[in-house]
Amino acid sequence: MITEELQNCARDLGEALRSSASVQTYLKAQADCIADPEASDLEKRLQALYQELVGRQQRGEALQRSEIDAYNILKSQVHHNPLIMERDAALSLVKQTFTDVADDLSFPLGIEFTTLALANST
Amino acid sequence: MNIQTPTSINTELKTEAEQAARELGELLLHTPEYEAFLKALNTVNNDPEVQKISAEIRSHQNAMRWSPGDTGEHDAALTRLEIELEAIQAVQEYRLAEEAACRLFAEVDSIISQAAGVPFATNAKRSGCGCGG
Repeated sequence: MITEELQNCARDLGEALRSSASVQTYLKAQADCIADPEASDLEKRLQALYQELVGRQQRGEALQRSEIDAYNILKSQVHHNPLIMERDAALSLVKQTFTDVADDLSFPLGIEFTTLALANST
Repeated sequence: MNIQTPTSINTELKTEAEQAARELGELLLHTPEYEAFLKALNTVNNDPEVQKISAEIRSHQNAMRWSPGDTGEHDAALTRLEIELEAIQAVQEYRLAEEAACRLFAEVDSIISQAAGVPFATNAKRSGCGCGG
């Protein structure tokens, strides 16, 4: 049972993180990506193609070389899109901030917070 | 006059997050779920039967690592030892305590993530390679 004090403290931490420059930059970059039709379309197409290819592979189907090449070309287009690059770079900074903060959170516990928090996630 | 530069504002916000993180860590440390988890962990680590079975498990794992080939005998022994380990009461109590602590931590993570606007634990997790990448 999570106490109100614990809930408030967790919320305070989340709000402090949201105010940080790295999270603000990331949220803006993410919104820019979603708002841009080209970036948004590229990501949707990559995700759909990835799921299709993995699904077929899992059903035992051998993929054609040309299909894998087409996937790699699309992946490269996604990774070279300026808005997506900007968002991914911003996410790297968020991860750095979050890792530092998680260290502070884990320090009193003696065990990494993330290990227990993500233990049941798939 | 005290003018705040962007750098000093960022440092202040990071310090605020770090302070909040430490306070949250202290609160979690004294929750019944985490205290029970630590107690169960300590009990398991000091249980002679658990220590004996764990040593046997390590011995089979080492044998498989250094003498690869037909591992059937070791595989069978490991399966048997793992069943024996899970049947020990202290281990069963530890599993329950671990599950409760994980549930609590996942719930706390969900609150942090919702307020932050970005998933917290997923993005705070260190990569496993130890290369900083």
